Amino acid sequence: MNSHLNRHWSPLLLVTVMLTLLAQPVLANEKIPRLANGKPDFSGIWQTTSAADYDLEPHSNRKDAPPGPGIVEGGVIPYLPQALEQKKKNFAERETLDPARKGWTLGVPRAVYYPAPFQIFQRQADLNLVPQFGHSVRTIHTNGTDHPRDPNDWWLGDSRGHWEGDTLVVDVANFNDKTWFDSAGNFHSDALHIVERWKFLDRNTIAYKATIEDKNVFSRPWNIEVVLYRHREKNFQLIEDYRFTLDYDQYYPPKPGNK
Amino acid sequence: MKLSRTIKVAIALPALLLASISAYAHHAFSAEFDGEKPVVVTGIVTKLELINPHSWLYLDVKGPDGKVTNWGFEFGAPFSLKEKGVTKATLAPGTKVTINGFRAKSGKDFGYAVTTTLPDGRAVKTGGAQDAPTTTAGT
Repeated sequence: MNSHLNRHWSPLLLVTVMLTLLAQPVLANEKIPRLANGKPDFSGIWQTTSAADYDLEPHSNRKDAPPGPGIVEGGVIPYLPQALEQKKKNFAERETLDPARKGWTLGVPRAVYYPAPFQIFQRQADLNLVPQFGHSVRTIHTNGTDHPRDPNDWWLGDSRGHWEGDTLVVDVANFNDKTWFDSAGNFHSDALHIVERWKFLDRNTIAYKATIEDKNVFSRPWNIEVVLYRHREKNFQLIEDYRFTLDYDQYYPPKPGNK
Repeated sequence: MKLSRTIKVAIALPALLLASISAYAHHAFSAEFDGEKPVVVTGIVTKLELINPHSWLYLDVKGPDGKVTNWGFEFGAPFSLKEKGVTKATLAPGTKVTINGFRAKSGKDFGYAVTTTLPDGRAVKTGGAQDAPTTTAGT
């Protein structure tokens, strides 16, 4: 009887064992890419599929945007009363006021969820983020340095990162007030301060979270979260998309006698 | 392949790029300012924006009628200002300065600053456009 059972069950057992063994290499493939120093390596070309850039808050469709559930935790950005009036004005005049429409640098965090790819080049000492749109390179320093003591008012702020386990935590400060968060007129002042958290969900997916604070515009800090997907298309690459100077082309090269 | 190589070069040579950015104004002087309309303005600094490619200084200017108007003046790139010793501390809000420059073509209350005279009497060339006239009626 026993021998009969063994004869009957052993192939099934074998298959189970084989499947278990096969599962190991599959899991190994799911390991995230790492630098030589063991830190997660975010190098690659990334893009969100969300409708965040059209409006961070939940929104229905409109003539210039698809609908979206928003990426703001709690759904509402906590504007101060006067700032909310400015936001409404921005929204009403977004077609002419949106900095992205003018071809300006997108800023942070907009460059992360703008609906175009961006590429990360990563080394132990820093990450360099190159958005396809515009002509900017954002450096996140991961060499233990702090914000400069005599800062400029940067379009992309000044980014200093550190690792908390496999999460890259980035403190971003020293902004100017010329960029928006989206094309719906959500804005900030030059007191903007952002703390980002970058973490792999799997080797081809990043969970991006940010806490946004600005005492001149918001009543309290607020959070956003988007998922970024790795571009894996064959031969995919960034193609330069620099629009700001198009209006100035007629003046180049500069002529000393040109009044 | 060619495009991605270009991008890598752009990252590998930031120093070279910075040098060319500070030498080239983002737009030409003649795109916005009128070389035939020199202005000399004295006022109190309200804000200095150290932004690439053009910094901007805002100041409250009291007119002959006593009315105060906030003027904006385009400066050169932050790095070129820093080379000349101009920082946020040099032009902190409340500082009294005199600017020799040119008015905007639009006639609005902004212009291009050729030189800025600081409270200690030091005159600093603060403009950055390579096609701008180098002197004004006031200098």
